[in-house]
Amino acid sequence: MLYLKIVKEDLPKLFGALRRFGEIHGPVRMGRFYAFREVSSVDEMSLDYTRTMIPPKKYFTRPRERILRVSRERGYELVGEGPRRLVLFGLHACDINAIKITDSIYIDEYPDPYYSERRRNALLVGVSCLPDEECFCRSMGTDYAHDGFDLFLHEVGDSYLIRVATGRGEEALEGADFLRKPEREDFVRLAEFERRRARMFKKELLASHLPDVVDSLHDSESWKEFVNRCLACGSCNLVCPTCRCYEVSESLNVSLKEGFRERRWDSCFLRSHALVAGGLNFRPTRLDRFVHRYNCKSGINRATGLPYCVGCGRCTVFCPADIDHVEVINAIWGVVR
Amino acid sequence: MIYAQEFVPKPAEIADVRQMTPIEKLFRLRFLNDEFERSFRYMPGQFVQLSVYGVGETTISICRSQTRPGPLELLVRRVGRVTNALHGLKEGDVVGIRGPFGNWFPMEDMEGSDVLLVAGGLGMAPLRGVLQYVLDRREKYGNVNLLYGVKSYEETLFKEEVLEPFERDSGFESFISFEKDDPFYEDLMRRHPDRLRKGVVTALFELVDRYLDPKNTYAVVCGPPVMYRFVMRELDRRGFSPRRVYVTLERRMRCGVGKCGHCIIGGATSITYVCKDGPVFSYFDILSIRGAI
Repeated sequence: MLYLKIVKEDLPKLFGALRRFGEIHGPVRMGRFYAFREVSSVDEMSLDYTRTMIPPKKYFTRPRERILRVSRERGYELVGEGPRRLVLFGLHACDINAIKITDSIYIDEYPDPYYSERRRNALLVGVSCLPDEECFCRSMGTDYAHDGFDLFLHEVGDSYLIRVATGRGEEALEGADFLRKPEREDFVRLAEFERRRARMFKKELLASHLPDVVDSLHDSESWKEFVNRCLACGSCNLVCPTCRCYEVSESLNVSLKEGFRERRWDSCFLRSHALVAGGLNFRPTRLDRFVHRYNCKSGINRATGLPYCVGCGRCTVFCPADIDHVEVINAIWGVVR
Repeated sequence: MIYAQEFVPKPAEIADVRQMTPIEKLFRLRFLNDEFERSFRYMPGQFVQLSVYGVGETTISICRSQTRPGPLELLVRRVGRVTNALHGLKEGDVVGIRGPFGNWFPMEDMEGSDVLLVAGGLGMAPLRGVLQYVLDRREKYGNVNLLYGVKSYEETLFKEEVLEPFERDSGFESFISFEKDDPFYEDLMRRHPDRLRKGVVTALFELVDRYLDPKNTYAVVCGPPVMYRFVMRELDRRGFSPRRVYVTLERRMRCGVGKCGHCIIGGATSITYVCKDGPVFSYFDILSIRGAI
């Protein structure tokens, strides 16, 4: 790890340097919420944002995309995609940890060609943040990113302390004469910041035995109260940075000779998710699907050792039925009542 | 662009189609690319993703053992959009194949032991590969018994193969249960009262008991989901270790390589992809997974 420092006034210069790498996308305020959007200057971004509605996974697996071209004569081929170099500027630690999880799935022994190519063409720049009342990343151990990014900017007073994690991150800063070597006080300020931040978390999920508890308490009566409120709309899946299920469909154009196979984000709350040929459904009820999602989110990703839930709070914030992820699990635990 | 072997279906020509039952056909497939044909190695229990151009893709288990020379064989029930379209294809038509995917039955671990196959309906398809494999390496295995539950003679898959033990020495014993009134099986039951039963597959266990040594037997089970619980109960009662009972599970799959998430079972301590970690599981592996069987 290389540590550098930049005064806030020089951020436009950093922005200019990173632009040489590719398009810059960062958090932009959109009405009441935030979204990652392409930006042409530092001013367009809100670097003190809390969370975006749609997580950065949208850059690597698109909500809807064509994955194969099909011809009734020639068969299938990958859809060509020109390399598009992206800088994702301003990712929070929870989102970086979530990307590590999706990486472990999409770039494993069977690398997804689209995901891995886009990931290879993206430079990730993290930024430190302060929790709001819905953040519980600290409980999940995902409040700090040790790796999985190229650069990470920690706000220390009127400057940022930059952690440079990769060779590519270092290359992107080549010739950046506005960067300084940090002083000892900068690290002291970083430690103070982290201590203050740690005290600010209001939500706590007792996560130490989470997988075992959720696995063994399927039959808890506590599920029912929440299930009765759940609209099974699947919003929580769409906004979750580690939810990655997709559905596939294929269609021909009007010539009936050529067409495409498409994939789109799917949701385990939809009835069709566990349906198999012949009409049998492995998760026929809303309760089955509700428990399944909490089960899935409460596991530990074997490849990274990270929990599948990174505590970003999106599923709670954007649930139209006001179902609180932490409250559900704490109720199953018997912590809340 | 990275070339992705596992993601692009390879063209395969339908060499032969055989109507097996009113709703099931057996497709023999030959890859158009010789090199791919040669590199396509599979084991009993594995599956492929089969594409019909312009219609879509579906998951089909491989129903033969590669110990037998010849093309890839898939038994397909006409039940959805893709399988309906496939049933409309004929010899010479081309389909897409990805795979083979998934794990397989522990054929090597089973060497030296007796083998008990328990199949229900379409479950005979993946187990046929196990049966062929064992028969082709006959000296490595002990007694081989097949319990097969069907509705009637008409709906019986691989009729000649499963009925062979009734005619001649075939290297294994076959026990059949049938559910509907069926003159063929009723006649056969009169001649072999110790081999056939009217009812569901679990009714066959008492017939096979005198051939079984549960301590030295691997049980391999495949059938409709409702069957598993009852078969497990019979195996448990006979003292089979959960580590020596293998099942193959069916789930919706879109990718076959552990990404699309539809086949995830369990979760938390046990999050498992049926396509990648399975489809073959020991009963022990799935004991604590709610809803696995």
